[in-house]
Amino acid sequence: MSDVKNDSENKTEERPPVSYAGIIYGDIIYWGTLAGAFVVLLGSIISFATTNNYVDPAYMLSALMDGKNVNEIWTGAEGVGAPPNGHWYLSEFTTGNGLTMLGIAMGVFSVTPAIFASAYYLYKDNDKVFASVAALAGVITIFAMI
Amino acid sequence: MASLIKRIPELSLLIFGTVIIYIAMGLLSQLNDTNVLTADGAWMLIVGSFLMSFVIAIVAVLGGVGGGVLFTPVMLGFTSIDSLLVRSTGLVVAMFSGLVSSGPFMRKGLADIRIVFYCAIPIIIGAMLGAQVAISMADSMGAEGDAIVRLLLGLILVFIAVMFIMGGAKNEYPKRKFIDRISEKMNLKSAYYEESLGKNIYYQAIRVLPGGFLFLIVGFTGGFFGLGGGWAVVPVLNLVMTVPLKVSAASSGVLLAMGNAAAIWPYIMKGALIASFAAPWMLGQVIGGIIGAHVLSKINAGFVRNILIVLLLMTSVKLISRGIEGFFGVDIPIL
Repeated sequence: MSDVKNDSENKTEERPPVSYAGIIYGDIIYWGTLAGAFVVLLGSIISFATTNNYVDPAYMLSALMDGKNVNEIWTGAEGVGAPPNGHWYLSEFTTGNGLTMLGIAMGVFSVTPAIFASAYYLYKDNDKVFASVAALAGVITIFAMI
Repeated sequence: MASLIKRIPELSLLIFGTVIIYIAMGLLSQLNDTNVLTADGAWMLIVGSFLMSFVIAIVAVLGGVGGGVLFTPVMLGFTSIDSLLVRSTGLVVAMFSGLVSSGPFMRKGLADIRIVFYCAIPIIIGAMLGAQVAISMADSMGAEGDAIVRLLLGLILVFIAVMFIMGGAKNEYPKRKFIDRISEKMNLKSAYYEESLGKNIYYQAIRVLPGGFLFLIVGFTGGFFGLGGGWAVVPVLNLVMTVPLKVSAASSGVLLAMGNAAAIWPYIMKGALIASFAAPWMLGQVIGGIIGAHVLSKINAGFVRNILIVLLLMTSVKLISRGIEGFFGVDIPIL
């Protein structure tokens, strides 16, 4: 039944506890995303204010606005010649757009450790079924990265 | 706003850093002019994208949809940017406000981590499949594939707009009349403290199997079109699985962030996410997402929803006409 009705009989009860597995999940993602945002800022200034770039950002933005597709953009990029395959920014993180991409990837990646940390705390809370579901979600997320 | 900045020092640091960096990027720019963009034009594109992303993050929170629902159709309808690049950036727009709002929602106990993980499996699988199909289609079908994407997206937008006009999912405390065996076994029940009523609300998710199947479709649509899926997650949780509206809305952002995080990797690895272009969209979503999660409940959401409906319908007309133009090679004179 809805729950509101049942609840009206329990006005003296305490607030339900907030799941620690949820808190740890949210906190890791929150700080991971913020850290990623600061790295993106740093990468953006290096991209614009120096010539230390994997691909010239002026070319990239122009090709993008010109309606070129992914293949055309990367093929026409000086010194690159083909679309990257894999995590290209890891070996290029000292360049402006490599660092910018690393920052975005950090924000996205923060989901993975958050899922596993949450799975661990669900397991500790004896919620083995959902700890396994969480771990499975984490494994699938890793699978998406490779 | 000022009190919010004091309360969340990391937000003020990020806003301050963004302003300083963007000014410095304009002053110290080493970019050369090209045939398409001047160096100043490139800087204005970045700053303009950041500001638009910030506004979209706020409108999306108020309208109860992910930012991708606005970004992707508008960009596909009104710019000449390649559809795969728009859709990958659309996922950035769809996911980052959800990522940063995960922390506050979890701390408040509004998002239900067990429901999130249960629904995450189909949504992640669907989103990954959608992203892979989008990339394969772009490789094999070229302009024809682009036209199909625009046409289908236009039709989806009409559906979303009609859903909004009809009222959408608004069942604050859904009543369940039965519980199926699988849902009983899954035992997806919990409680949260409802401030407005001053008491605990207990709930249990039902129809977990059809719910899971619907999330597979939502994930695929989100990953394929770069839409996210905020428009669909809340109705599925609230109307199908009878999860209270507040928990559905909070869990939706967390869930979408997880699904879109899986969907975006194939795009990143194929070079279909351009860092210089995606960065300001990410920053706008992060800042807008934090502000949205803390203060925007006081603003009239109904007004924003009406604007959203008009915007979606207008964009759908443009997308459908561009889709027909591309697919049948005809010229439809619509602005």
